[in-house]
Order: sequence, then C-alpha cells, then structure tokens
Amino acid sequence: MSPKSFKRLKPYLFLLPALFFLAVFTYFPILNAFKTSLFKLNLDFPKGEFAWFENYRILLASSTFRQVISNSLFYSFSTIIIGFTLSLFLAIQLDKNIKLKGFYKVILFYPTMIPMAAAALIWMWIFMPMYGVLDYYLGKLGFASHNWLNDPNLALGCLVVVGVWKRLGYYVLFFLAGLQNIPSSLNEAATIDGANPVQRFFVITLPMISSFSFFVFITSIIDSLQAVDQVYIMTQGGPFESTNLLVYYIYENGFKYWNRGLGSAMTSVLTIFLLIVTVVIFKTVGKKVYYESER
Amino acid sequence: MKNKMNIYSHIFLFFVSLIVLVPLVLIISTAFKSLQEIMTLDFHWMPEKIIVTNFIETLAVAPWLRYYMNTIILVIMVLAVQLVTISLAAYAFGRMKFKGKSILFILFLVQMMIPAQSLVIPNYMTLSSLKMIDTILAIGVVYFASAYGVFLMRQAFMAVPLAMEDAARMEGCGSLRFIATVLIPLTKPSLIAFSLVSLTHHWNEFFWPIIVTDTVKARPLTVGLAMLTQATESSPEWALTSAATLIVIAPLMICFLIFQKQFISSFMSSGIKG
Repeated sequence: MSPKSFKRLKPYLFLLPALFFLAVFTYFPILNAFKTSLFKLNLDFPKGEFAWFENYRILLASSTFRQVISNSLFYSFSTIIIGFTLSLFLAIQLDKNIKLKGFYKVILFYPTMIPMAAAALIWMWIFMPMYGVLDYYLGKLGFASHNWLNDPNLALGCLVVVGVWKRLGYYVLFFLAGLQNIPSSLNEAATIDGANPVQRFFVITLPMISSFSFFVFITSIIDSLQAVDQVYIMTQGGPFESTNLLVYYIYENGFKYWNRGLGSAMTSVLTIFLLIVTVVIFKTVGKKVYYESER
Repeated sequence: MKNKMNIYSHIFLFFVSLIVLVPLVLIISTAFKSLQEIMTLDFHWMPEKIIVTNFIETLAVAPWLRYYMNTIILVIMVLAVQLVTISLAAYAFGRMKFKGKSILFILFLVQMMIPAQSLVIPNYMTLSSLKMIDTILAIGVVYFASAYGVFLMRQAFMAVPLAMEDAARMEGCGSLRFIATVLIPLTKPSLIAFSLVSLTHHWNEFFWPIIVTDTVKARPLTVGLAMLTQATESSPEWALTSAATLIVIAPLMICFLIFQKQFISSFMSSGIKG
C-alpha cells in the first residue's frame, strides 16, 4: 500500500475496533430484531415461519401490551417529574454554601454505587408487610399493615420510589454543577433591581442551567424506559401485570415464554420509540438550550 | 434573614438525607441480627445482640469467592478493551480529518440512545449462535465499545494543543506512539473518570448477566445474590439475604467512602454509564 492511501485509510483503521463491536452488538441486533419480528418464532414454531406483521398485530391487540405501555408511561413520568424537581430543589439548597455540604452530597450520592438488584432486595425488606420498617412506623401512627408490593394500586408507586431514590443524588450533582456556573453578580444585580427569589429563579437560575437540565432530562428518559432490575427482583411484573414495564415485558416474551418473534417485535417498538423520543427532544428542546461552544 | 433561610435548607436536606440513608443503615443492622430478632414486630435499628453467623452461613450456601472472581474478571476485561477501543476512536474523531466523520459520529450516538438493555433478545441470539452463552466474555463483549467513553475522551484529546503533535511528528513519533506516550498521560483525569464509572457500572450490572449466564462458572455477584434469594421458596430468608447483600455492596461502598471526591467528580465529568 502506498503511504498516501494508508494515510487516507488511517482514521478508519482507528475507528475500526470500536465500530466492529458497535456493529455486532448494536446495529446488527437492531436490524436482527426487526427481521425476527416478522417471523413466528415461538414454542409452536421453533424453526420460525415468515408472518409479515402478525406479531405487531398480536401486540396491538394484547391487553397486556397496552397495560405495559401505560405502566411504563406512568413510571417514566413519575420518576422524571419527581426526580427532576426534587433533585433541583436539593441542589439549590446545597448551593447556598451551607455547612456539611460534602456530607450531604455523599449521602445523597451513595445509592448510585449500589447495584439496583441489591437495592431492590433492601427495599423489598422495607416494604415487607408487618415486619418491614415502613409498616412499623405507619403502625405507630395508627395505620394498619399493608401488603405494598402485592397491591396492584400501590406496587408501581413503590417502584417509582426506588427509582427516584437510586438516581436522586446523581442528578443533584449535575444541577449543582449548573448552579455553580451562574456568576453571582447576576443574582446580585437582580436583587438590587428588586427581583424576589421566585423571579430570580425563573428569570436567572432556570435559563442559566438549561443545558444541565437538558442532560438530566434526556438521561432520565432513557434511564426510566430501561428500568428492569427492580421489576425482576421485587415484583416480576405483578400483581396482575401492574408493574410490568417495557424491558421486563421483552424479557418475559423472549426468555420466559420463549416467544422470540413477539419479543423482537416489542424490541423494535422500543428501539423506534427511543430513537423518535431522543430525536424529537434534540430538535425541539435541545435547540433552545444554551450550549457551551464546542470546537 | 439569611441564617433563617439556611436553617430551612438544613432541615430539608437533613430529612431527605435521613430517608435516603434508610436502606443502607437497615441492611447493615439487619445483617447483624438473628433471624428471630428480624422476625419480630418490635423493630429496632440497633441489633439487641450483634452476631456474625449470618455471614458464615451465607458463605456456606453460595460460592461467593467464585462470584467475586467472576465480577472482578468481568469489570477488568471490559475496562481494558474499552480503553483501547475508545482511545483509538476518540483520537480519530478528535484529531483527524476524514470523509463521513459526522455521519460516523451520529452512528456512535445511537449506542447512547439504545442501551444494550433493550437489545437482550437479538444479542442473546447472536451469542448463542457463537456458542458463547454462559461465559464471562458474553457478559462483557456487548460493552467493548463505549460511545460515552469515545465522547469523553474526544473532548479531552481535543484540549491537547495541536502544536505538540506537530513537534512529536517532526521527531518521527507515529500516531499510536503519540497516543500512548503523550495523549494518555496528559488526559489521565478523564481516563480515570471513565474507568471509575465503567467499573462501577459493570460491577453493579444485573439484567444482561442474569440472562446470558446459566451456571456458577460465569455468574457475577449481583446474579449470585438474586439466585440466593430465589433459592428459598416464598420470600427471601432475610438474615442470609441481608448478609449476602452487604457482601455484594461492601467493596464499592468502601472504595466510595475512601475516594468520595474522586468518584463524585468522575460521575459528574463523564455523563453516565460505561
């Protein structure tokens, strides 16, 4: 090979190792899931039989699928809204240069370091009827014992609590970084002009941290749509499918019921959904967000 | 006025921190309680009598040493390969000009939008046709390329002045040698940040490992923990489970407490997961 053509090839050679693994374990599976979704591939048809969009029709007609979608939307919206507001509020308190700041940061952050599977086990123990800490303290206040994780109206809420607890400190860090980026002269000037704290929050703080908020927002969307460890450990999707979330549903179809066709259809739906959500958000919210200049 | 405001902040932070701490304190206290004490309605934070038999029993019922080895091999293997693939790709994206750069960059982005978690069925099928199911390699291989890592290191590499590279080139230093001897030492903080995030992420991972492993030979700690609780019929045996949970979370927790600043700033600078 001539030195010149080698020079032209060089960047691609540098990208090759990473691209190879991305191709085999990200791009190919996306396409493969779509291909598989067009086949009946289950215990009745272990060899697979081409069936056009039959799996998608089954999905749309399935009440479980609709339930899973509504569960996932509920889970995502609640964890995002609660996680976002609570962590922003906590970050604002921490930004006041109060004492013990480092101490609070460590406490809020430690759940990030614990595996979700282990955390889920601990929370099961907290939610345990009668013997759990929650029922113990509620009992002291005069409430009757409750079977939290077995109540179709409450189980998903319990998972939301675990989800928020796990990510809270991580988001606090980002908001804190954003808040520390605001020049104090801005707030001082606004105060002199007679702006009250609420006005300052909406006119100065929120716009100035928009790129950090945007990051937290995107991350929490992708994150909450991937939630599965806590479902697997705490509820297995039950009671009555009330905690069955997207990725767990994929797992159930693909591995518990060995319906690879249907599971792949679900995978394709999730993939397309994730792509659309991120593209839409980048095009709409992302454009308005103040970005640090990038070379 | 200002002091009063800070008092409210303290009260709020204190209460939230208290609630956030409950799971950790509870698991530590439960792990040292006897089963009888655990299963009473009269709850105490402090064990009446501190015992260690839960740990001894847990060690007897599951191959924890094996799980530890598997996890350690997994996280080191993933990190080692990632460091090679991301430094090379980050160098290309950050310091080279070539055709199709922006399209390739967007292709890398796809991995951040669609995590491996959602592709478990097709990835399982691939690894199964490669006869790789139930190996540590199968757990790790899907993470060998990390788009996050590439973005992070690209930023770091771009901050190194081009003049340095020109000077090195004049002295006959090739790209690979330049990466190894100049770029990597200069961007150590970013590399350490990425490494800590990657190690934590894969140490804690559960869903993909439980799908792709069938036996003790490849199972990491998190999966071992779940197996222990599922082995007992209805609900987990809490004395053993809490001791086992502590065994699983202890190493990272201790590292975190010792190197808290390093961990916190790493997570902050590197966006998210490895």
